[in-house]
Amino acid sequence: MFSLQAWIRERVPVGPEQLRELTNEPVPNHLKKWWWCLGGTPAYLFVVQIVTGILLAFYYKPAPQTAYESVRYITEEASFGWFIRGLHKWAATLMVAAVVLHQMRVYFTGAYRKPRELNWLVGMCLLLLTLVVGFTGYSLVYEQLSYWGATVGANITDSVPVVGVYMKQLLLGGEVYNDNTLSRFFILHAAVLPVTMAALIALHVTLIRLQGVTEFHFKDEDPKKAKFFNFFPEHLLTELSIGLVLMILLSVLATVLPAEMGPKADPLTTPEVIKPEWFFYVAFRWLKLFTGTLAVLSMGLVVFLMYAWPFIDAQIRKWRPNSEASVWIGIAGALAIIALTVWEASVAH
Amino acid sequence: MLAGLGASYGTAAVYATRYLYPARPRAKAWMYVARVADIAPGGSLNYTTPGGEKVAIARQAQSGTVDDFVALSSTCPHLGCQVHWESQNERFFCPCHNGTFDKSGKGTGGPPGDAGQSLPRYPLKSEGGLLYIEVPTESLEVADASPPRDGHDPCLGPHLGDGARV
Ligand code: HEM
Ligand code: FES
Repeated sequence: MFSLQAWIRERVPVGPEQLRELTNEPVPNHLKKWWWCLGGTPAYLFVVQIVTGILLAFYYKPAPQTAYESVRYITEEASFGWFIRGLHKWAATLMVAAVVLHQMRVYFTGAYRKPRELNWLVGMCLLLLTLVVGFTGYSLVYEQLSYWGATVGANITDSVPVVGVYMKQLLLGGEVYNDNTLSRFFILHAAVLPVTMAALIALHVTLIRLQGVTEFHFKDEDPKKAKFFNFFPEHLLTELSIGLVLMILLSVLATVLPAEMGPKADPLTTPEVIKPEWFFYVAFRWLKLFTGTLAVLSMGLVVFLMYAWPFIDAQIRKWRPNSEASVWIGIAGALAIIALTVWEASVAH
Repeated sequence: MLAGLGASYGTAAVYATRYLYPARPRAKAWMYVARVADIAPGGSLNYTTPGGEKVAIARQAQSGTVDDFVALSSTCPHLGCQVHWESQNERFFCPCHNGTFDKSGKGTGGPPGDAGQSLPRYPLKSEGGLLYIEVPTESLEVADASPPRDGHDPCLGPHLGDGARV
């Protein structure tokens, strides 16, 4: 008798046993607590962005003459367009927040230490890419903020000595914002950056699988109890419940605080009060405090130090094995970021 | 083999980068502004470029040459936002990072002030007693939301104004 199962097995030689083997990464017990699972949250939101982004791209028209009107159409006329756009916008915000929280968890638990330095580097790339996707995303709407944000962003690359002027022209497709600019931002936002991110997420997860999640032991744990539980189905269930909570949260946010249309871009007038999205407040305040090149180079230095941190930390610990420096530096860094963000949020200029 | 791969793919990569890089610089042209004699020393006029940018052209001396004139751009030298004239404070203000400039366009505060940057100037020339300005001729379509243009056609002649109002 024709057996579908046998037919498939002959062509795809993987059985339930191997599948079990493949997915049954033993997961340390502390991952039963949700705050250890923050890494899964951006991954989930990434999928939400791909799906909602593809839906938006059905109506979006990336040219200065059409972009604003097409987003208005999505928001006001296309059935449930407001919902899809709201999901995309809120998932972007939550994604930045989730990546930052995940990174803080990794940092403060020292999970970047040997042998996981390389995965910290991959994670840093993902953080920067998330910020850049967010930036190129809100440039697409062709609101005032989109236009002036893109102009300022391009001129920031221009402040980089030597190569900056070429980078700016590559980004804008001209010396200033022009007819070619929006389609570049769109291709970056909807193709180049997401594909790069997908590849890096795959690498990130592969490295986690190869090295295992860092194990932690708590004093209140029963030493006789098993230290691990199964990825499938237990951990998957945790992740799925996080997915459910996130979808409810996103739907509520998209409905209660829907994405709106700001004033249309006007290349001749910068509005009197202009602010980027909240996750760029730090950089925006920094740019007001120092001259152009100094601000850009110092931000570059901070990013470089963040990349190099696992290696710097290893040197510190070689020299002083019980040093708590990483914790203090982390707290100082987090407070500085919060302070600059709150400062920028609380004043008009 | 390796050299062949390097050469063929390398050439393709160079071509691809060049393809993405703008093919030509932004188009510019010399446009007629006014008769030199029509602008008295100390006076100024507002000129509107084909793209709609307003340029304050001021005459600061009376030698009769083009060096008497300055044409200030309203594009901030810091990161490219548009400055506007604040008459109550007698300064140009850039809302992006609080840059300020005095009437002559010299940076006085904020990041451009600290870096000693001034508002850029458009090139001017005079020929046969006529004043010309070099401005970009390509621009994005101006949004409907912008304040109505003052209705003057740059080819027909300027409006004579009084202050450095941009
Ligand atoms: C990977 C993570 C992504 C992030 C963080 C992200 C973020 C954003 C943000 C912040 C906006 C502006 C939202 C607004 O103000 O309405 C936006 C707009 C947009 N995005 Fe994405 N996006 C991502 C992926 C994608 C993908 C994969 C596509 C398409 C295949 C896409 C297509 C679009 C389109 C067409 C718009 C303009 C329409 C609109 O603003 O509603 N996005 N994105
Ligand atoms: S762009 Fe004018 S102060 Fe930054």
